[in-house]
Amino acid sequence: MKVSLLAPFAPNLAKLVFCTAIAGGVMMSGQVYAAADDDTIRIGFISPRTGPLASFGKTDGFVLTQARQALANGMTVGGKHYQVEIIDRDSQSDPARASQLAKELINQDVDLMLAISTPEVINPVADASEAAGIPFMSTVMPWEAWYYGRGAKPGEESPFKWTYHFGFGAGEFYKTYISQWSLIDTNKKVGVMYPNDADGNAIRAVLAPRLAKAGYTVIDPGAYETGTSDFSSQIALFKREGVDIINSFPIPPDFAAFWRQSAQQGLHRQIKIIQIAKTGLFPSDIEVLGSLGPKIASAAYWHKTFPYTSPLTGLSGEQLADMWETETGEQWTQQLGATLSLLDAGTEALKQANDPLSRTAVRDAISQLNVTTIGGQVDFTSGPVPNVASGPIIGAQWVKGTGQFKLDYVITENVTDPNVPVTHKLLQYNTK
Amino acid sequence: MMNSLVQAILLGGYYALVACGLAFMFQVMRIINLAHGSLAILSAYLVWEITDALALSPFVSVLMILPIMAIIGLLLQRVILERATKGGELLPVLTTFGLAIVIDNLLFQQFGANTRSLSPYLGDLSWESYEIFGLWIGKLPVIVLITAIVVIGGLDLILRFTPLGRQIRATAFDPDTAGLVGIDARKIAGISAAIAMMTVAISGTALGLRGTFDAYAGGPQLLFAFEATIIGGASSLWGVFLGGIILAIAQSIGALIHPQGFLLGGHFMFLIFLFARIYFNRDVFTLKHWFAKRNKGEITA
Repeated sequence: MKVSLLAPFAPNLAKLVFCTAIAGGVMMSGQVYAAADDDTIRIGFISPRTGPLASFGKTDGFVLTQARQALANGMTVGGKHYQVEIIDRDSQSDPARASQLAKELINQDVDLMLAISTPEVINPVADASEAAGIPFMSTVMPWEAWYYGRGAKPGEESPFKWTYHFGFGAGEFYKTYISQWSLIDTNKKVGVMYPNDADGNAIRAVLAPRLAKAGYTVIDPGAYETGTSDFSSQIALFKREGVDIINSFPIPPDFAAFWRQSAQQGLHRQIKIIQIAKTGLFPSDIEVLGSLGPKIASAAYWHKTFPYTSPLTGLSGEQLADMWETETGEQWTQQLGATLSLLDAGTEALKQANDPLSRTAVRDAISQLNVTTIGGQVDFTSGPVPNVASGPIIGAQWVKGTGQFKLDYVITENVTDPNVPVTHKLLQYNTK
Repeated sequence: MMNSLVQAILLGGYYALVACGLAFMFQVMRIINLAHGSLAILSAYLVWEITDALALSPFVSVLMILPIMAIIGLLLQRVILERATKGGELLPVLTTFGLAIVIDNLLFQQFGANTRSLSPYLGDLSWESYEIFGLWIGKLPVIVLITAIVVIGGLDLILRFTPLGRQIRATAFDPDTAGLVGIDARKIAGISAAIAMMTVAISGTALGLRGTFDAYAGGPQLLFAFEATIIGGASSLWGVFLGGIILAIAQSIGALIHPQGFLLGGHFMFLIFLFARIYFNRDVFTLKHWFAKRNKGEITA
């Protein structure tokens, strides 16, 4: 009864709450500006903190805290002192939401926009920034899906004036896989499982033909739809063809379904290397497979043994990972270094700009950027295509843990960044 | 081909298990519970939590959460569904939709982003299989299929042969008249919701054992359950069992035609049945109808 009495007022109530929140927000931000006697540089940061991609964004709160501590006293650019404010937003794993947040941050007059993790977050934010003329930088998705996926054409001039991306691409995956798979003697037959999504289609178009050229027989049953719960036809094909290697770019639930069913069908006994990407980035993806998890091969865009320090925070990889583990009690993940490398590159670009509050100056600084972040070198002057700096993807493997965690993540090859130390020999999957 | 069919039937057993709670609730209370998938994920997390904390087998933990889920079902009926149904047919749908969002986000708040599964607690049973005539049949899918048969068979027996079952059927048929003959419709609705949630607990455990879950994994489960229910016809639980298997076979055929056709095959079958149910007399879907027709033909001859 009470509810129905209040119901007619509900829209007004919602409006009231909304207005109060807005007013409160304006007042609070007013106070912040009043307190600062310097100019403030504002950095927008969008990542997936909740929703199906939340495992990527899990560590972002921690990394942002480190960055904010490092920037607490602001920074000096060209002899002038600035306060720095990072405004972070959660895309909720929804591309439409990411786009809307980007527009909100643009209206809040951010001087630099950063976005991280997967095409579902990065591409909509990049498009909004490009349209509004805001300097933009991103990492952690194959750059082909970023560059060609947003409308650039091979051989033509880059259509992007404001947006920049660094990190791995299908070319790096190719080098890494060839290097990784030559570590074990196989029949060079690769069964591939690429889903029908942005990453899967980019990899199928670019990687599969190059593998074939390198002498591998690629057995491709075709793109599958995300959410498929029975893979018996693909498994039957791989058994029939006698593949030694499997390569897949699945989301975690699809991979668990595929690999468990493969084991039920006896496929896992013939597989020497199971090389996966996208799933297997984080320890929990592999832990859920139980006894099928160890010896799955992966490729890492960051590892705590990367021999670099963060110019922003001064932390080394090991220090960053240890801080995370002591603070949360959870195992480190490669996303720690990736997020910090984006913040490193972003703040370095601001430092190198003539005027960090001028959009064109920041954009020009990004286009000339060549710095070493915690994730390695970011060099926009010599990328594979304009607006892109390529980065490493290091061959790695999940093995039974020797310390406090169930699994350890070890490096087995380093062709895309020879500075990274190789610590382990690649183990064959189907041996005890 | 044969292998695909066997795998599809095993998968169908899982779909039937997921669907039976949804169908039961629809049959008895005329409510389409859109929070069904999220509640299954909730029970998967509860089983995971107990299994992890007490180092038990998930098969034991599920017995422990049955009463918990029953209480949740009772509360759900008393606090939310009972009020929602008074507001017309649409309101329970909207309410349970909202409830699903609330549960998803509470689970995320509590358990975070990590993917979870119950299978590591089973050791090698999660992927061991029987090899029969060159076919590989996973032990776990067989367990799930048998569970589905036991759960659905058990519910069917309760509905048919016990006083409680008679009361539930009477209430489902006409709550007002049932009230006239001394059945407490409110109590029956509460018990039905509790029973439905117990099946949800079992299906959530099955999901956790055969796959992985995170806080947002409820949506697809609801979709499969809904499709199986519509294909099987919400009027009988064995129909839902068949519906689950038909859905899985349609998906497998879809996947054989084209690898992307897996989900599409299921959706297509769902639409065919949906329209058939709208345009044809419901008798068409019973075995009796087809056999009766022949008898009739004999009589007229």
